[in-house]
Amino acid sequence: MDDFFFSLLLAGISVGAVYALIALGLNLTFWTTKTLNFGQGSLMMLCAMLTVFISSQGLAITLAVVGSLAIVAALGMFIERWTVRPALESSGGSMGWVVSTLGFGIFLQGMAAKYFGSQAVAFPDVVFTAQDFVTVFGQYISLQYLVVLAVAVALILAFELFIRRTVWGQAVHAVSLDPELALVQGIPVRRLILGSFMLSSILAGVAGVLIAQIGGTVDPAFGFDLVLLGFVAAVLGGMGSSLGALAGGLLVGVISKLVGGYVSTAAEHGIAFALLMLALAVRPQGLFGRPEVSKA
Amino acid sequence: MLELRDLSVHYGAVRALEGVSLQAAPGGITAILGANGAGKSSLMRAVSGIAPVVAGQVLLDGQDITALPPPARARLGVAHAMEGRRLFRQLTVEDNLRLAWSFGARREKLAASLAEVYARFPILETKARTAAGLLSGGQQQMLILSCTTIRNPRFLLLDEPSLGLAPIIVQQIYGFITDYAAKSGIVVIIAEQMAALALKVSRQGMVLRRGRVVLAGAGEELLRGQDGTTLAASYL
Repeated sequence: MDDFFFSLLLAGISVGAVYALIALGLNLTFWTTKTLNFGQGSLMMLCAMLTVFISSQGLAITLAVVGSLAIVAALGMFIERWTVRPALESSGGSMGWVVSTLGFGIFLQGMAAKYFGSQAVAFPDVVFTAQDFVTVFGQYISLQYLVVLAVAVALILAFELFIRRTVWGQAVHAVSLDPELALVQGIPVRRLILGSFMLSSILAGVAGVLIAQIGGTVDPAFGFDLVLLGFVAAVLGGMGSSLGALAGGLLVGVISKLVGGYVSTAAEHGIAFALLMLALAVRPQGLFGRPEVSKA
Repeated sequence: MLELRDLSVHYGAVRALEGVSLQAAPGGITAILGANGAGKSSLMRAVSGIAPVVAGQVLLDGQDITALPPPARARLGVAHAMEGRRLFRQLTVEDNLRLAWSFGARREKLAASLAEVYARFPILETKARTAAGLLSGGQQQMLILSCTTIRNPRFLLLDEPSLGLAPIIVQQIYGFITDYAAKSGIVVIIAEQMAALALKVSRQGMVLRRGRVVLAGAGEELLRGQDGTTLAASYL
């Protein structure tokens, strides 16, 4: 296997795992409310920007990350309360949340540009530097990529365990299937929805920090196309499926990196959307989307 | 004691319930009768908190719960088996039961509660790992009843438990409901289109027509009156 192919593959898997994180975050709010936070990308950017800002004030980098995640989590609850809920409550079943969540994302992007500047700023090294690598079978493997991959996979596993093994995870699943029945059974649906937006924003924040770590810089526009790639991953894997999010993320990551390496980096994003169109035409329920189980 | 005072439920311009009052004491079954669209389901939905109440009050043991959200009412002991065999169809039988137990009163351990359900309806144990949506109608109704009783409710609302079931299954279901009502001593309200069936086991009954009470009284009285004209007339 030649070095170039191998390094592209590893980069693809690492960013793919991060796309999977974004897709999981999108899935989570989709489960509880059938809405997606299209401002997710701005939360990724903001979390990375805040990390840069807080650590530049002299705080330890880990504290900076934790603090930024807390702020982003609070913003997630704000988004639910003030952009999603009013849109859902007005004239039942409207699609207003698409515009309101996207609009709030653009607002955050503008605020970031105003206060942090619109130039790209260097993202500090969290654990390893870009020069650290290990050698496996004669291949150089960047430790940063490995850390990103490990964190993303660990989070996906933890998330999956939470949904499958805990009562609250089951309750989230129940709300996705029949919110009214969940209410009548005493499941605090409102709190679950709020929690899902909070957790979804944290996943976005972590994804933002991880991507910024790989890329080395962050700017206010960062995150916008990333969330679209996360969306492609979610649809490709099957909206609402965690396994699908992981598979879709890896697929999008690896294919776009390979195309970027062998064809042109300009085609990297284009190929992802070509994949999306192909998936919607051939298998609209996604790779792991399940048909309804029911009997009259 | 479950009490409704001058309760009105409107869905936009549709007046589903108009000034309905009811007192249901624990230890007996109350039958809510009426044709399709008479307001039976709206009455139950108003009690569990998912219908738009525009006037009147719902009281549980004297406490006004009209403004409480549904989960808070569920915590006060309201259990509602909704019409249309509502279950989490993609979840397994046991997951449905576990979920219902988790957010219920939890008076017993989960294992003990499950054992009780399975002893009553052995078929549910056989199908424990099957998706609820794949059960037969009768088995689904057994599961729905079990999901409400496993929560140890104090106010049990059953919306058309006989709908679309074979007569022999209906008998079994009603046998269970009567036993449970007698043993637990809680408030049980059943909405039924099959008047005779429900009245036979009920202490009191009430007939709704286009959202208003047209007839109310002791179960046996209403049942005896059926040979005459009153009960039949109130359906027309």
